[in-house]
Amino acid sequence: DSHIQYERVGADVTMKCGSMDWDAAVTWTANGTDIDESHLNGSYLILKNVDLSQSGQYSCYEGSSWHLKYQTYLRVGTPPKEPVLMCRSNNYPKGFYCSWHLPTPTYIPNSFNISVIHGTKDMVCEKDAVPKNRCHIRYLQLFSTVKYKVTLTVTNALGKNFTTLTFDEFAIVKPDPPESVVAKPVPNNPRRLEVSWQNPSSWPDPESFPLKFFLRYRPLILDQWQHVELSDGTSHTITDAYAGKEYIIQVAAKDNDIGTWSDWSVAVHATPWTEEPKHLTTEAQITETTSASTSSFMAPPTTKICDKGAMVGSGAMAVCWTAGLVMAAYSVLFI
Amino acid sequence: MAAADSPSAALRRRDLCSRGIRLAGKMRADVVDLLDAYVEQQGLDASASVAAVEGVPLAAVERWDEQTGTQRLLENLAAYRAFRALLAQMLEEQREQLGEVDAGLGHGLAAVLLQVSAFAYHLEELLRLESRGIPGEEGDGPPPLPHLSLFEQKLRGLGVLRELAQWALRSVRDLRQLAKPSPATSGAPGLAESP
Repeated sequence: DSHIQYERVGADVTMKCGSMDWDAAVTWTANGTDIDESHLNGSYLILKNVDLSQSGQYSCYEGSSWHLKYQTYLRVGTPPKEPVLMCRSNNYPKGFYCSWHLPTPTYIPNSFNISVIHGTKDMVCEKDAVPKNRCHIRYLQLFSTVKYKVTLTVTNALGKNFTTLTFDEFAIVKPDPPESVVAKPVPNNPRRLEVSWQNPSSWPDPESFPLKFFLRYRPLILDQWQHVELSDGTSHTITDAYAGKEYIIQVAAKDNDIGTWSDWSVAVHATPWTEEPKHLTTEAQITETTSASTSSFMAPPTTKICDKGAMVGSGAMAVCWTAGLVMAAYSVLFI
Repeated sequence: MAAADSPSAALRRRDLCSRGIRLAGKMRADVVDLLDAYVEQQGLDASASVAAVEGVPLAAVERWDEQTGTQRLLENLAAYRAFRALLAQMLEEQREQLGEVDAGLGHGLAAVLLQVSAFAYHLEELLRLESRGIPGEEGDGPPPLPHLSLFEQKLRGLGVLRELAQWALRSVRDLRQLAKPSPATSGAPGLAESP
């Protein structure tokens, strides 16, 4: 007969060779490899202080005939620790889901049983096909002051454990993050970024259960975030961006009245609009070439030297008075 | 009804709903603060379960999304009328216990009572807009309770405030449903009766 035998890590295991007498001559194998006689006590196989590596197929053969007399699959593992359970409603007011996992593996199969009680009423938590450690419940009532009590029991061949969560309907509401976050520069506005997003698709009725949003943004070169809370709408214009700096932007959502904030959305990057670099005309190119070997004075795009009203020239090269004078000074120095 | 569906009535309805949502939102915030103060000053455990007490309207509802507009208004009105009487009783009990209205808790109760009364009136306005008759108030309030010990009074007060907080939340949701534009057909549970 072949069967499965579960043993705890660290246990001492004694295997009998089926119905063979203690003094019968037998040979034991582990995964096809002969086991040294030092592990035998008569025909019994003794494994002391077993560890995970000793899991496998153990077979016992009659000494002379090599008839298979006994076979077992040894699985070394541990009883379950207290499971970790989480319940959340990301689709309020439809229902909520609970998911769980074990803090450490047991190395042997486990079964999970979940019970949900609302007052005196037992509710059915329907298990999801994927992922397997999750089930969902439909709210049968809304606005109840009676708490929900969820108990998860995990059982395996070596023991069992459980955990319980008790909560109010409104306390576990946490939407999924906003979707499709887009950030775009605003033409001719070097300090603005236009951000838009959508309600999470899992939130079933944003009209009756509106969400509010939290937007955070910072230039990549800084660590400190700016925050804006928005009570309605799915767009916002940032008006204090540092010109020319790349920004990272994220959005979170919360039901307007209850629950907690979602996780942050996927981050998007954007840089505010900047004026395109101007191409130089012939005269200015000469000036530029002459002075280029020593130093060139060209204002960085974000630095404003003069107003557009003080520009000379036109088209691709419009140089303002101040810059023109400085460039001329340099060129004179190096002629 | 033709009058209730006129453009001006629709605007008035939306305006009343918006104001009602703000009223209910403020009321809920104040009730939540009052609940915290009540638990602390009455020496109660915030997580204590309180059995449903007769006369306290339960906010819990099944098939909430299927209710008609009129059902929502009538149930809300009945609830806030009951809370008006319950809060008045709690204030009276406070006076009896302390000889005068406690500065903190008593003022908090009185402020919430005022908001509950105002909200009840607001609901009556919405019902009038729909040319619905305003149901008469039953008797003089909740039935007189058997004599409760001081601790039982405190627990009942906890139950009243908890349900009121949930009702305020439900009212916000109900008014948002009411504020939705009614479709042309009469089948939707907006303010028109469902078939």
